[in-house]
Amino acid sequence: MNTLIYTAGLGMVCLAMEILDLRKLLVPVILLGLAVIFGVNLMSWADSGPVIFAGLDMSSMLLVDHFSVAFNGVLIVAAAFLFAMSHDFYKDEQHHLSDYLTIIVFILCGAMVLTSYSNLVMMFLGIEIVSISLYILAGSRRHDLRSNEAGMKYFLMGSFASAVLLFGITLLYGASGSFKLTEIASYAATYGMDSPMFLVGSLLVVCAFLFKVAAVPFHFWSPDVYEGSPSLVTTLMATLVKVSFFAAFYRLMSSGFAGIDPHTSTILVIVAAATMIVGNLVALKQINFKRLLAYSGIAHAGYMLLAILSLKTNSASALLFYGATYILATIGAFAVALPVFSSTGKETIDAFDGLGRKKPFIAGMLTLSMLSLAGIPPLAGFLGKYYIFSEAIHNGYVAITLLAVITSIIGVYYYFKVILAMYTKAGEDTEIQFPMLYSIVGIICVALSILLGLWPGGLMGLL
Amino acid sequence: MTFLGLMIPLLPLLGFLVNGLLGKYLPKGSAGWIGSLSVLASFVCVLLIFKDLQAEQAISIDVFNWIALGDFSISFGLWIDALTMIMLMVVTGVGFLIHLYSIGYMHGDEGFTRFFTYLNLFIFFMLLLVMGSNYLMMFIGWEGVGLCSYLLIGFWYKNEPFNDAAQKAFVMNRIGDLGFLLGMFFILFHFGTLDIQTVEQLAPGLASNGGLIMIITLLLFIGATGKSAQLPLYTWLPDAMAGPTPVSALIHAATMVTAGIYMIVRSNVLFALAPDTLTIILWVGVITSLFAAIIGLKQNDIKKVLAYSTVSQLGLMFVALGLGAFSSGIFHLVTHAFFKALLFLGAGSVIHALHGEQDIRKMGGLKKLIPITYITFILASLAISGFPLLSGFFSKDEILAHAFEQNKIVWIVVAVSSFLTAIYMFRLVFLTFFNNFRGSDETRSHIHESPWTMTFPLVVLCILAVLGGLIGLPAIFHVSHWLNTYLASVTEPSAALIHHGDGISHGLEIGLMCFAGLAAIVAIYLMYRKYVMQKAIPESEESQQGFIKAIANKFYVDEFFENAIVNPVFKLSEWFGTFFDKKIIDQIVNRTATTITSGGQALRLSQGGNTGTYVLAMVIGIVVLFIIRLLI
Amino acid sequence: MEHTTQLVPLNWYLLLSTFLFCLGVMGVLIRRNAIIILMCIELMLNSVNMLLVAFSSYSGNSDGQVFVFFIMVVAAAEVAVGLALLVSIYRNLGSTDIDLLNKLKW
Repeated sequence: MNTLIYTAGLGMVCLAMEILDLRKLLVPVILLGLAVIFGVNLMSWADSGPVIFAGLDMSSMLLVDHFSVAFNGVLIVAAAFLFAMSHDFYKDEQHHLSDYLTIIVFILCGAMVLTSYSNLVMMFLGIEIVSISLYILAGSRRHDLRSNEAGMKYFLMGSFASAVLLFGITLLYGASGSFKLTEIASYAATYGMDSPMFLVGSLLVVCAFLFKVAAVPFHFWSPDVYEGSPSLVTTLMATLVKVSFFAAFYRLMSSGFAGIDPHTSTILVIVAAATMIVGNLVALKQINFKRLLAYSGIAHAGYMLLAILSLKTNSASALLFYGATYILATIGAFAVALPVFSSTGKETIDAFDGLGRKKPFIAGMLTLSMLSLAGIPPLAGFLGKYYIFSEAIHNGYVAITLLAVITSIIGVYYYFKVILAMYTKAGEDTEIQFPMLYSIVGIICVALSILLGLWPGGLMGLL
Repeated sequence: MTFLGLMIPLLPLLGFLVNGLLGKYLPKGSAGWIGSLSVLASFVCVLLIFKDLQAEQAISIDVFNWIALGDFSISFGLWIDALTMIMLMVVTGVGFLIHLYSIGYMHGDEGFTRFFTYLNLFIFFMLLLVMGSNYLMMFIGWEGVGLCSYLLIGFWYKNEPFNDAAQKAFVMNRIGDLGFLLGMFFILFHFGTLDIQTVEQLAPGLASNGGLIMIITLLLFIGATGKSAQLPLYTWLPDAMAGPTPVSALIHAATMVTAGIYMIVRSNVLFALAPDTLTIILWVGVITSLFAAIIGLKQNDIKKVLAYSTVSQLGLMFVALGLGAFSSGIFHLVTHAFFKALLFLGAGSVIHALHGEQDIRKMGGLKKLIPITYITFILASLAISGFPLLSGFFSKDEILAHAFEQNKIVWIVVAVSSFLTAIYMFRLVFLTFFNNFRGSDETRSHIHESPWTMTFPLVVLCILAVLGGLIGLPAIFHVSHWLNTYLASVTEPSAALIHHGDGISHGLEIGLMCFAGLAAIVAIYLMYRKYVMQKAIPESEESQQGFIKAIANKFYVDEFFENAIVNPVFKLSEWFGTFFDKKIIDQIVNRTATTITSGGQALRLSQGGNTGTYVLAMVIGIVVLFIIRLLI
Repeated sequence: MEHTTQLVPLNWYLLLSTFLFCLGVMGVLIRRNAIIILMCIELMLNSVNMLLVAFSSYSGNSDGQVFVFFIMVVAAAEVAVGLALLVSIYRNLGSTDIDLLNKLKW
């Protein structure tokens, strides 16, 4: 709870700094603030009592437990990386800097609500805080038609999905008489799917979540929006936002629907299978890097759905680990890609041609990030997949896990396409500007990917 | 000892890091020495361990506990026993020589530093592969060597086909990796561990569950067919010759392609428990060995001949494994590493001398011009052909003896393919080194022997290729078979599970050896007649002139051989090369790949960019999920 | 309050708002003008609001009515953002037809 309050406070500070004309200090202040918030978050690990705010017990709204603290920690780190990169990314848009950064801070707030809600109202608010902010950011290049298109598409489809979500929430409320997850859970445990209202409601809510995490057939927005949005926003959507939605989805399924009933699990298996197949196959033919990562993100959503499926054995730690490794690898990749894009003016894979010769160190970072995304040991991405797959097999989802293994092998192909472009193609002789902060972010991400690959225990044992 | 064991993989890694990160700041050319010396240092560590380590001992180094999840854990561990020792010596020893050779071969190439960076990384992963104490570690190495292999095949990236070759190697290896990965999952969920030694100990207890072990071993074997270029996943290897020649020597002859053999020997107990899998391995090996040998007969690219020869020899190793003669497989692996690395390096030296010419029809008469290369190359060819008392003779003979003992048909086929080996090798030798030079005068004037960094490895490998057979002298020499004794601790548990015959008598063994030696000599003679005395070169062989000339010379015996054996076999080879290799195998593999990618393309087009369609898809999605939900 | 709830059974509210919701969905699917689509989404949200109020008053639990206010606020924010996006698209494109937004595909 304190974490959330401090983060919201940080957002206010950012707005105030705009008024006081302190834009130059914005990024350092935010990074400092995030460090403090990370500390506050760490302290809340120990006290998992009821959430008291202004003398009122808020436990029926937000619940601070190990799950939320752990995910918040990961999200704060991810946000710190994004802010560090934003310094150079928004170099030419100084007059909008505080708007953008404040919105990202508030997205972090929304994401924190999503990891810790205990009430459907809060869940809805969390989703909307994140989504509405993202509509703005996606369309933030006002004079670029592609950005406009991305924003508009995301907005239309996102609000449509929100309406579906609301209808689902309403039906759940109608059936169970409450928005509280605990009461919904006890209703589900007693009456479960006998109530048609509850059945339809739960299905609609699940569909809305599948939309937010870009699972097939609700994935259509993601490649277009990823491609059209400014690259930093793409990074934000692919990492922080995606993982927070998965945390929210997991929370809903585990504490709201009292585990997973066989019918819902069948639906999720079908969706997960379709997601893995479509994500990996379509990615094979992509030439735009951001689009490639969008489809890769879809494929990864398919794998993460396996963690949702296997929540009987408390796969939260597997989801946390996978989310963290996915964030690290994706940010590591974008930390290389953003400056390459701005130097070459291209966002296609051939923008990386010959990078291995021109900047071997930078190319090495991208290689390791790609290998981690592809799930090649000993990088963290492999262990993430490994945990999720073994959880799924322990829960008896053998066929879907085999499919996941096969599709992830197919997936290696398109990640290697990027690597081969860097090392086995001769590129143009454009000078690549590589600002310091990007390399720092890249190095930290890659180093953490390797560390987590070799010593997963630290993050794995948390939940 | 633990420290030395750790240093073995770490030194090449260090070389990789120094070259990769600091390469730009170091003086030009130093990358080669850094790379070579790091591997040499690693080789010295191997020798130091070898000196102290008894054959039945093993060193287990748990670097740290890697994954601890509930009831099982995987350690990041290394395991050094007799089998590892043999592989380590081959990888670091031959690896060092090839590094040294590359200094001369890659001299002046703009990617000199990059080349050694990849090469050192490759050695590191190869060492992880052979030293890993569990299947996961092995898989890390397995993937790592694959990655380096693609980077090195596509090393000269200005040439588009090279990239296609890298791509093909990639697709075929992925199919293999899938098998390995699935095999690993099956092992994990039925043994509860991935530790190789534990699995080997538990496996006999699960013997009643034969079907399961068969699935595991088959999956692992699929992995092996990908890496070790066996039917049907072998066509990437000849194409991989697009890379620089030292790469072909190191990766595609001596080390990486033998990973499949190593993996099977490593899990020999598991395989011994699955006799059906062994039979499949046997026949895949037999057929591959024959097909590749036949195709090799008609190739005109010096490296392609050697590539098909490698596929064929790997097939022979699989035959040994399929017969349950695991140590014979390793024996041939070792001798093959020596002579095939030497052949590739010799070929590299020839190509270097001719400034990139690889077509044997444009060579000839090189024996005077590059004598060291010539002598070493011909000795290596004799070794691979099974010329008596050279290394290949013993290792092949051992496999042939096992085949003769267990299955006469296998013996016949393998004997034929080893006869063909002698034919294509000496066709290559005579066309390259004998008669007159067939290239342009301008090229001829530039031919020179290679620098010492290139000839020194040739000489060392040549000595090994000649004497390598000493590690496995057969019983008739009344000395113990050193390699079998050395590997006994590894192969013994499986030996008890496989029913071996009583062994063949000494007289018969001598008879078989004489037969094999004689066959090799006959083959060499046939080729000598054809390519040296008749001066046939591949183009003119079908022309009238050659035919009339042969009759005019009244070589009736030759005519008989020519028409009854050699020509039909050559025709068959041509047919296999064009039809079987390119049309069937390549087509199947490429079709699989294109089917998948065109599936991707079709799905991609569903993304039409129209918001209305997207929303419609969402609504349909909800409705369909709703229907599914209601129906089940 | 008591007697109104007895007059109209809950199911009727359910049916009415489901009908309105589906009407909204149809509108989103059929209409190409972004403003109309926005209005259809509003229709969907309002049908939900109505249903929430009905549920709330039938179960005697005020949570639902509080939630309606949240939805209204969020919907207002959404519309503000949506209209802003629409304006910038109109400036660039001179139209509000969403079929023209197809630069990003495949």
